[in-house]
Parts: sequence; C-alpha cells; structure tokens
Amino acid sequence: MVITGRLVLLALLGVVPVIVYPGATSILLWALLLAVAVGLDLALAASPRRVGIRRTLPDSVRLGEQCTSVVVLRNDTSRTLRATVREAWQPSAGAVDPEQSVAVPSGEARRLTLLLRPTRRGILRVETVTVRSAGPLGMAARQVTVPAPGVLRVLPPFDSKRHLPSKLRRLRELDGRAAVQIRGAGTEFDSLRDYVRGDDVRSIDWRATARRRDTVVRTWRPERDRSVVVVLDTSRTSAARVLDEPRLDTGIEAALLLSVLAERGGDKVHFLAYDRRLRARVDSTAKGNLLASLVTAMAPLDAELIEADWSRLPAQVRAVSPHRSLVVLLTSLDAGAVEEGLLPALPGLTERHVVVVASVRDPRLGEMSADRSTAAATFRAAAAERSLLDRGAVAQQIRLLGAEVVDATPADLPPLLADTYIRLKATGRL
Amino acid sequence: MIRGQRISSPEHPAGSSRDAGPPDDRGSTPAGQATGHEIMGDGGSALTTARARLRRSLPLILGAIVLALILLINLLAGQEEDTRPLSPDNAAPAGARAVAEVLASEGVDVVRADSYDEAVAALEEGPATLFLNDAQQYLSAGQVGDLAALADRAVLAAPAGRQLTALDDDFAQVGAVPFDLSGDVPALSADCPDPDATAAGTLTATGTAYTGAVECFPVAVGDATGGLYTTSDDGSMAVLGAPSILSNEAVTEDGNAALALRALGSSPTLVWYEPTGADVVSTGEGIDPRTLLPPWVDPLLVWLLVCAVLAVLWRGRRVGPLASEPLPVVVRAAETAEGRARLYQDSRAVGHAAATLRAATLARLARRLRVDRSASAAEVIDAASRHSGRPRTELEQRLRYIPTTNHQLVLWAQDILDLEKEITPS
Repeated sequence: MVITGRLVLLALLGVVPVIVYPGATSILLWALLLAVAVGLDLALAASPRRVGIRRTLPDSVRLGEQCTSVVVLRNDTSRTLRATVREAWQPSAGAVDPEQSVAVPSGEARRLTLLLRPTRRGILRVETVTVRSAGPLGMAARQVTVPAPGVLRVLPPFDSKRHLPSKLRRLRELDGRAAVQIRGAGTEFDSLRDYVRGDDVRSIDWRATARRRDTVVRTWRPERDRSVVVVLDTSRTSAARVLDEPRLDTGIEAALLLSVLAERGGDKVHFLAYDRRLRARVDSTAKGNLLASLVTAMAPLDAELIEADWSRLPAQVRAVSPHRSLVVLLTSLDAGAVEEGLLPALPGLTERHVVVVASVRDPRLGEMSADRSTAAATFRAAAAERSLLDRGAVAQQIRLLGAEVVDATPADLPPLLADTYIRLKATGRL
Repeated sequence: MIRGQRISSPEHPAGSSRDAGPPDDRGSTPAGQATGHEIMGDGGSALTTARARLRRSLPLILGAIVLALILLINLLAGQEEDTRPLSPDNAAPAGARAVAEVLASEGVDVVRADSYDEAVAALEEGPATLFLNDAQQYLSAGQVGDLAALADRAVLAAPAGRQLTALDDDFAQVGAVPFDLSGDVPALSADCPDPDATAAGTLTATGTAYTGAVECFPVAVGDATGGLYTTSDDGSMAVLGAPSILSNEAVTEDGNAALALRALGSSPTLVWYEPTGADVVSTGEGIDPRTLLPPWVDPLLVWLLVCAVLAVLWRGRRVGPLASEPLPVVVRAAETAEGRARLYQDSRAVGHAAATLRAATLARLARRLRVDRSASAAEVIDAASRHSGRPRTELEQRLRYIPTTNHQLVLWAQDILDLEKEITPS
C-alpha cells in the first residue's frame, strides 16, 4: 500500500474544519474521510499482481551508445490500470527515466520504452520491475515488485577503431613491395613484374629476364596465415587505473585493434584472457565475425584480484597455436610483479615464438618527475624517476630475453602496438 | 505523464492465467533483441505480502511492546525510594526512619504531611506535635506562624531567620556554629531548665544557634551566644538548631535519642511536615499564556502532526527496492610512486632521492646522446660536454653535487633539469 501526495493535500484541507469546529470530532471525522478515500482507492485499484510484464532487451550495446529496454505491460484485470512502473536497473546502466507512468485499459497492453545509456563495460543487470497501481481517486495505490531479471551486455567501445583505416593502408602497401625496400628474409615470393626505374637492381630476377626481352624484377608480399596470439592479462595489476581507465580496458582496446588488423592482414588471430586460468578465448578460425565474438568475449572481463601465473602461459599458447607465432602479452611492467612472474616464463615463449610485451605507461609519472617546485614535489619526482628507471630496467631485461617491448600511454598503446605488428610483418619476422 | 504506446492487438484476453504466462513465440523478435517470457505478479497475494511484512517487522513490534511495558511498569510503580534527608521513610544514614518507627511503636501516630494543606488539616484534627523540616526554606514566615499556632507543640528544624519573625514567641537566629577544623565536635551540656534537654544531658552535634526564652546546649557564635535547642517559656515551641541528631546515623549517640523522642513524642499525633516547592506562596495572579490562544490551536497542531506523518509515509515509500551496483576497485597506477615519495620525505632520504634523480638524468642524457646503456657516468658526462660545448668540469660539478637539505635538493633538482634541457633541447 502506498499513499500519494493527493491524500496529503486532502489531509491538509482538513485544517479548515479543524479550525472552524475545533475539537476531537472534526479531527476524527476528517481522519475517517481519509480512511474511506484510501480504502475506496485500494479496493478499486487494478491488482498489480495481474499485470503481465514482458521485457525486450538488445543483446548487447557498445559502451557510449544508447539502447532501449522495452517493457510491455498487459492489463489482465477488468479495471483500468493507472500504473507507475519502475525498472530497477543498476545505476551504471544509466537509465534515463526509470520511472514511468502509464494507463492501460482493461485487457489491453501498453509498451514502455526506457532509454539506457550505460556508463560501464560489462554485464549489467535488472532484477525487478515494480508496478504501483493507483486507484481512481489517485489517493492510494497498490505496489508490487515483480522479479523480472534481465541482462544487458555492454561491449567495449573500441575507440581505437579510428586508427584502423590508416594501419590497414600501411598493411596493404606492404603488398607488392620490392624485397629490397623491406630488409630481411622470410617474405614470400609474390609475382614478377617489369623493371621500373627506382627498383633495386638486386631484386632483378635474371632467369626470368633471360627468358624475356625485358628486365623483370621479383615482388614480394608479406607472409600470410601466420598466427597471432593476443594474451590479455586480467590479474591484479590490470585493475590499476591510468588516466581513470583500468589497464584492462586499455589492453582491450589495443587487443581489438591488433586482432582486427591481423585478421585483415590474413593472419590467424587467437585471443586469450588469462591470469591463473583462462578467462576467455576467441579464435579467428571459428565461425562468425571475429570482432563481434571478440567484444562479446571481452565484455564481462574484469580484473581479478589475484597474481597472474605466467609459468603456465607457454602451455596455453601451445594449446591454441602449436606453430611459431606472434605472441602479444598485454600486461604491466611493474617491477616486482614482472620480475617474479613474467621474466622466468619468458624464455619458454621466446624460444618458440616472437614475443611482444605491451604495457600501459602512466603519463602521471612523467608529470611527477618534471615537477620540482617544492620539497614534496621533488621527492615525488625522485619516486617517479625511480619507477621509470625500474620500468626501463625491466623492459631492458625483457628485451635481453628476446622479446619486443611496447610501453606507451593509454592513447598511444593501440596504434603503437599495431605499428609493431606491421613492422614485424614487413620484416618477415612472423 | 503517460508515455505508453498503444499496442494494436492484445495477445491475451483478459482473465487468463494468473501465474507467469507461457513463453510466447508468435511475435517476431527483431534481430539482436531478446524478448523474455511474460511475467505476471510476484507469485504472492496481498495476504502473503501482509504476512511477510508482519514477520519481517515482528522483532520491531516485539521490541516496541517490551519498551511500552517497561515504561508502563515504571509509571505505575512510580513510588521511588525516599532519599530526602530526615525523611521519616528514609532508611539511609541521613534519613530519620528510626525516630519515626520508635515513636510509632510507642503509640505516637506519625502523620506524614506532603503539602501545607495536609499539614494544616492534620493539625486541626486534634492535639498534635508539628515537626517542620524545611531545609530548603520554602515556607514564608506567615505560614510557619500559622502552623505553629495550630499545633499544640511545634518543633522547627533549623528554620531560617526570616521564618521566625511571625511567631508569637521571640526566637532569632544567631548563626551557624563555626566549623571546627580539627573535626572534633565538643560535647555540649544542656545547661538549661528545659526538661527534655536536661533529660538528654549532652549533645555532640553542630548546627545553627538560636536565641529564645530558654536556650539549651549553649554555644558561642562569634561574640553572641545561642542554643542549639531553644524553647519558648511554656515549652510549646522549640527550635532545633541541630536537626542532624534525628538522623538514623546519629540518633543513638549521646543524648540525641532522648532529646528527639521527648521533643517529638509528647502528643498522641506527630505531624511530620517537609514542605516542597509546591507550598511556596505565589505573589500576584499569573496568567497562563496558553489561555490567550484561540481554542483551535491545539487541535490544529494535532492535525498538522497527522499531516506530517502522512507526508512522511508518502515521500518515504520507494517505488521498489534499491538496485545494487557492483563497484570496481579503484587503484590509481601512480599510487605506489606517491607512497614511495612520502616514504622518502618522511625518512628525509635526501641523498637517496638525489641519487635517483641523477641516475634518471644520466640515463636520459645517455639515450639522447646515443651513448651506450652500459656506459659509465663519466662517459655520459664526456659525451654531454662534447655535445654542448661546455667545460667538462662544470657539468661534472653540477651533476655530481650532493645536496644535504631539502632546500638544496629542490634547487639542485631544478638545476639538473635545466641542465638536461640545455644539453638536449627537444
């Protein structure tokens, strides 16, 4: 049972009789009037327990976009339903107008549209729908909370998508290049074409030239069908926020850009989310759109507050890709965690694969190290320099073990990682 | 605001199943949309809801009942223990229950008067002794005089000087017996013709001295003298300057009991009167300000209270339960660096901070000047000197400087940062 502002107004109107006829009688009579009004309203209100609720939700929505949750209310009673309906979405679902009023005549149905603007990636839930059915006088209402669970999958925004066209163009430019322009071995022979001025004489195919009257050069194309294994660290270090974004989310952006780029580049992409066990796995060889399955798999990922177990990573990588492949580790370069966890496990990876360790660098450290205005700021600068030196040392150790290191700020990490991939591909190191 | 859109064809006729509806696959769902089953009601009824609420609020209701019972018992059994000094019902050391009990067992009817009117009524009934113990001096001289006139015999316990002015007999307050710092109270002998005092013999008490017709247990207060027990000529009026002799604690000492029983027990009735604030005679007619208000104010206040309660109920009821949000852990990545900075500062690790800053500067210079990472500091300084054209000694001096105080550290840190920018302008 719920009373409304109208009843309170009616009660305030009772001030008049109480003043005109002071005494207990007028008070009691007015209270009786209120009680009758409430009783009448409750008796005549449509039962909220006989309202059918059906919710239609989109499967998923990209973070930053909006979607609608449509609720159809069907009035199964013989009275008109005057209802206030509230969907109890969790706050980060960003329900714009969670409370809506609707009148549903007997036996009919009405559709309520609720605008959602999610503010967090992940699985957002709604557990209940509350129907408050007011009586014809609008003084009292019956309220029932119906358990009507719903789930909305909020996908990562993939903001780094804007880098994709330029990186794809660079990837295409690799096709048909003369071998000399991209130093290194291992590129695949593509075709022969006529020599044009500017081509390196070393790429002239003399045998073909001998068969024909014109000079012919060989062209190369980057290798295809190599496998790229993207490993996203979901351990405790990925919970840290850099520029108010968890490392995990930056890692997701970078992984998305790299995966899409590699797939377009003709490589097989495997995505693993890993800390002590496998949290998610997506393969480009599976059926369906890679990007769609990637974002769907990434949506519910959250940083686990446990230490990553890198010693089992080589086995995991071998399980998805038995051959030589590019292994990209999206993790952090925090001195302690890496020295104890990642460094001992790296040789097991680098002896079989090309390994790139990508990490988010906190731009705040740079700001701290440049501010030397006060004693406190100078000590902060020293501490920041210490962290940067430690990072540098760790990165150097990783390089010595034969892996590449990409250490960049959140905005730069996805394009830099993509560049690294293109460079490795161009030089035929895949 | 009515926001619903009308749906052309209701799929279910009114009055179908009350329970959760069956899954409906007839409607075509758009791609990428999930339409759930129709859910109807929470599986309960108004009765079950009421019952569940009752069950939930049962502890509260029980608590309220227990609280009400405790209050009720306290209000009903409101006779709290009498703790007033020299009260006939007080059995504590300061009370005077012993005297009252002994008198009662000797056949004296001890009547306890709680108000002036009761005292007057009790005194009018017949021959009675009045014991007036007005320690707070509530009564006026006129009231004391009237009471004393009504009583056959009146014993006033340490009255104030002003309360004695309306008496027939001539009593006056001399003053409090000076307090002996040594703590010894000298024994006083009766030293007067009054039979009660003579029977008591000696008193070891202190109090207030009074002058009157017969002064017993005389003491000197300053230059004047007075008696601790003073009576009128005919003995019908007595002023007891040392009422503490009646207390349960002291009544057995010396002649205290004799004096007390003889002074109070001479009549068949003893009216034991301890005035309260209610007995104070008010001067002039006060006007209750509430009588000036119109008659509807009280009912209006009651009604507004009811309205306020209704408004609270109206605003206090939520539309359904709160939705919970699983909050993420918020750890700023630079937090460890900040913590380390505070550790440096708290432990005044100036040297350590300086070494770190120097190492960072040298590492950056080495990178910018393309010096090998494994190069020593001297090699980096050499390279910097060659690159910038500055004398090597100057660079060495500026970079190798070791600050010892916070002030020096700040200045030096800024200096090497400037130096770095000068050598390798980016």
